[in-house]
Amino acid sequence: MTAFWTLQALNTLQYAALLFLIAAGLSVSFGLMGFVNLAHGALYMLGAFIGISIAAHAGFWAALIAAPLAVGAIGGALYAGLLARVARQGPMPQVLVSFGLVFIAVELARIVWGDVPLGLDPPALLAGRVQVLGTVYPAYRLFVIALGAGLALALWLAVTRTGLGAGLRASVENPAMARAIGIDTERLFLWVFALGAGLAGLGGVVAAPIASATPGMAVSVLIPALIVTVIGGMGSIPGAALGALIVAGIEVFGAALWPRAGAVLIYAALAAALIWRPQGLLATGQGR
Amino acid sequence: MFRLDPMRIALMVLMLVGLEAAAIFGGFFGREIVTEIAILAILAISLDLAAGFGGMVSLGHGAIMGLGAYGYALAAQAGLPPWPAAALGVAAAGLGGGLIGAVAARMQGIFFIMATLAFGQMIWALSFTAGWLGGDNGLGGIDRPSLPFLGLTDPLSFASYAVGLLLLVFLLAAAILRSPFGRAYQAVHENPSRAAALGVAPLRIRAIGFAASSALAGVAGVLAAQHMQFISPAMMVWTASGEVLVVLILGGIGTLTGPIMGAAVFVGLKYWAAGWTDHWHLVIGILLIAVVMAGGRGLAGQAEDWWRRAWA
Repeated sequence: MTAFWTLQALNTLQYAALLFLIAAGLSVSFGLMGFVNLAHGALYMLGAFIGISIAAHAGFWAALIAAPLAVGAIGGALYAGLLARVARQGPMPQVLVSFGLVFIAVELARIVWGDVPLGLDPPALLAGRVQVLGTVYPAYRLFVIALGAGLALALWLAVTRTGLGAGLRASVENPAMARAIGIDTERLFLWVFALGAGLAGLGGVVAAPIASATPGMAVSVLIPALIVTVIGGMGSIPGAALGALIVAGIEVFGAALWPRAGAVLIYAALAAALIWRPQGLLATGQGR
Repeated sequence: MFRLDPMRIALMVLMLVGLEAAAIFGGFFGREIVTEIAILAILAISLDLAAGFGGMVSLGHGAIMGLGAYGYALAAQAGLPPWPAAALGVAAAGLGGGLIGAVAARMQGIFFIMATLAFGQMIWALSFTAGWLGGDNGLGGIDRPSLPFLGLTDPLSFASYAVGLLLLVFLLAAAILRSPFGRAYQAVHENPSRAAALGVAPLRIRAIGFAASSALAGVAGVLAAQHMQFISPAMMVWTASGEVLVVLILGGIGTLTGPIMGAAVFVGLKYWAAGWTDHWHLVIGILLIAVVMAGGRGLAGQAEDWWRRAWA
């Protein structure tokens, strides 16, 4: 019986690590710019497909580095070219323009990579299985957990301990004041957006060996990531991590223990969060 | 503030005559398309009532429409005649949507959108896990009603019935907006604190407005169930609601005529593009971004603009 619980706990951690990679960028662009980017899931999908294409030529490890950089560049270009202009126009244009981008990205992916799900083999180094607390678990999934936890720690340190992080926190708290004391918020927004896109792209590459890549993942990942952002609190790295753990826990344990109602639980959690704590559990900024 | 000026009436009459003509001369395929446009237009008008005139952008309207469809199908299965069953379906949508509105009314902007998404997805998830609702397979064998002078089994009379319902819903929405309630409702949207100072209760007005919009969405649901004679959870997932929002924006939000134009363009484009490409969503995506970047007035809003400039 303990093996069952260990397995579910590991699955929760692994799913939470993926959700964190996707939700971190969403949450920070939400909190920092008040920007609702529905196209964030599309960046995740692009990460998976670009990663698979790179891995076919240069192997998994090259894809793990190059695909997030490519997706980060795409995200930065999108922000500079289009999204910066709608960022200040309120939620409606943001939702619509980024929804339009989802349509375009999904169709482009279908044209380039087709409708058939594409798989990716984990690297030889991580192909085996490992004995963990009385259960056997794929080494690759442990790597995903470690990667997610490591990046969460690194991001948290970068936000709380570096000068750039201080500028970021100042811009979330009070953008006008941050500009007044000489922080170039526009450039900061661009870099943060590109970084968030790159993290989503990394999530895509990392997810490809676990669940094969399809154009549909642009939409299917979006709702869990949005729920993570709302539950955890916008603009907060620890909030995104906590939200990811909560959402992953509800989904994994809900599906294992209560399969008939598992699908409803996550939306019930979202509704409860919106009603009782709309600013999120660990919100920063003005609670937009 | 909504006005049913001569230009909107002219546009409305033109579009309805066009739809009816397409039904009469379009053969079986044309009639199916006209019916589909009418259903989508009714749903988009109901969303316009909530989003365009009340500022309540909903990503749950597909699910609310589903309440109407399932309400109708279950009532008909229980042995109720079609018309009372239809009334029950509309009531189910109005009541369910009203409950969502009552909870979400105090939220603004993206939080309102997320709340409608959450409740809509709960309804969707329940519908495909509940065995008595047919689960993933949906419900089939749904009856069509009959009119005293017209059977609704042949495609032409059903398409005409759908166009007639579209006119009815348009007039209902216009009547709601021109009533004292509708004026208070739009005042709450335009300036909540001033409306509150004038003695209007913003939360109650918003909740009632959302319930009215939901009831109209229920009409679309009942009509869809009667048209396809089969319903499944697919109509309730949030992306279906997102598509209706796209239709509303393409046509023109806050106009009531825009939803009809948007639905005609959307469905028309879908079938026209399906002939030569599998990627028509690419066109929709580009069109959507272009419309928003051009100021977000939509096709009907743009047309009204040109019309005013030509005559002013």
